[in-house]
Amino acid sequence: MPNQNGSLYGLTILSPIIDDENATPSHDLQIRDYLAQLSTREDSPFAMAPGTHLARLVVMDDVIYVGMPSCEEHLKSKYLVFESNCDGDLDTYLGGLADAIPTHLDGIWGHCVGYPKQGAADRQAFIHYMKACQLETTFYFAAVNDKSVPATLKALQIQTAVADFIASHQGADPATLQREFIDFAAHLRAQPAPPPGSLGPHRTIETGGHNE
Amino acid sequence: MSNINGKVYALNVITPMKPWKTWILRTAFFVLDHVKPLQNDLINLSFIEFARWVIIPRDAFPFLGNGQRPEELKYNYLLFFSNFNGTWNQYIDAFSAVLSKGLNLIWRWSEKFPGSVPVTPFKQYIAQVQFDTDYYYTAYPHATANDLKSAHIVQNSFSRLSTFAAQSTPQQFAEAYLQFVLQVQAHLGETGEAPQVG
Repeated sequence: MPNQNGSLYGLTILSPIIDDENATPSHDLQIRDYLAQLSTREDSPFAMAPGTHLARLVVMDDVIYVGMPSCEEHLKSKYLVFESNCDGDLDTYLGGLADAIPTHLDGIWGHCVGYPKQGAADRQAFIHYMKACQLETTFYFAAVNDKSVPATLKALQIQTAVADFIASHQGADPATLQREFIDFAAHLRAQPAPPPGSLGPHRTIETGGHNE
Repeated sequence: MSNINGKVYALNVITPMKPWKTWILRTAFFVLDHVKPLQNDLINLSFIEFARWVIIPRDAFPFLGNGQRPEELKYNYLLFFSNFNGTWNQYIDAFSAVLSKGLNLIWRWSEKFPGSVPVTPFKQYIAQVQFDTDYYYTAYPHATANDLKSAHIVQNSFSRLSTFAAQSTPQQFAEAYLQFVLQVQAHLGETGEAPQVG
């Protein structure tokens, strides 16, 4: 199935944005404004909900005219694009979003045509709505396609800790090395995986133009 | 607008295609999906965490009623979303240098595609058909695709050594530890802050 690669799911959703000339600011701008306020770190809505490796939200204003001799044409709606690379089963993932971050989902998709009146609080209606806006992915590539988000974060945690352990135990005698390795492994196993979105650098500038 | 989060860049591209050409592209993707060796160049580039192509037939844009006007389009559209490590220029350069045949096979059905070599008109085309990301999230902003692969290699070796540690003598453990270090030493590169760009 093209939406899936191993245990990873490539979710692509295009939601038409409400076109209301009486809305000020327009609904697409309200979405952009809402997204601009959202954290991309461990307090991101997608970090609070389970299962998202990487995700993006994009307001697509129109299709792009590439010049003569092609025909110029335009969309009648603007669309909110949601591209998510997530763990496993789609219903579980969407249900997890609805359970964990309903207010954010309403803040974003509440500006889209046909969004459930009760919002994400109506779990089934939310899942049904998202599926109605879903596009089938034609070809999906994942560099690592068999690890969940928690498993990936745990592996990255172990990688860093192991590097530190090796650096600090060069030349240790066998008995000490073994004893301290056993303690180290037990300690590492007991440690919780770091929260999603938490290990990146704190940067004040997060923009990036077309082709820097 | 935020195309970058940590070490990943979100690229969005949309290109128009004559509907009859879509079927050729679907066939190409079907072959690419089922003949795994054809993906080797994509895998070996090793700086793409996730990527996807989505064909939207001209009559298949989501339509929900409720006052939404149905689209009336002549073209089908090809969407491309990539999550890659490095800068835009590095990415497009590498794509052009390593995957030129594959890219031509995918995009030659799009209107006005100039070919992926030479790289200058290819870059101009991608810049023309790219649109920016409003919100970009990654669960592991400090890690690249290679970091992810390496982390899983280290974790597997570490688990094996942890099991062995509890049931070996100090001398046996020291020898196994040395082998472990040899196995993982190329996979311990430090993750951390991405270089500043823009």
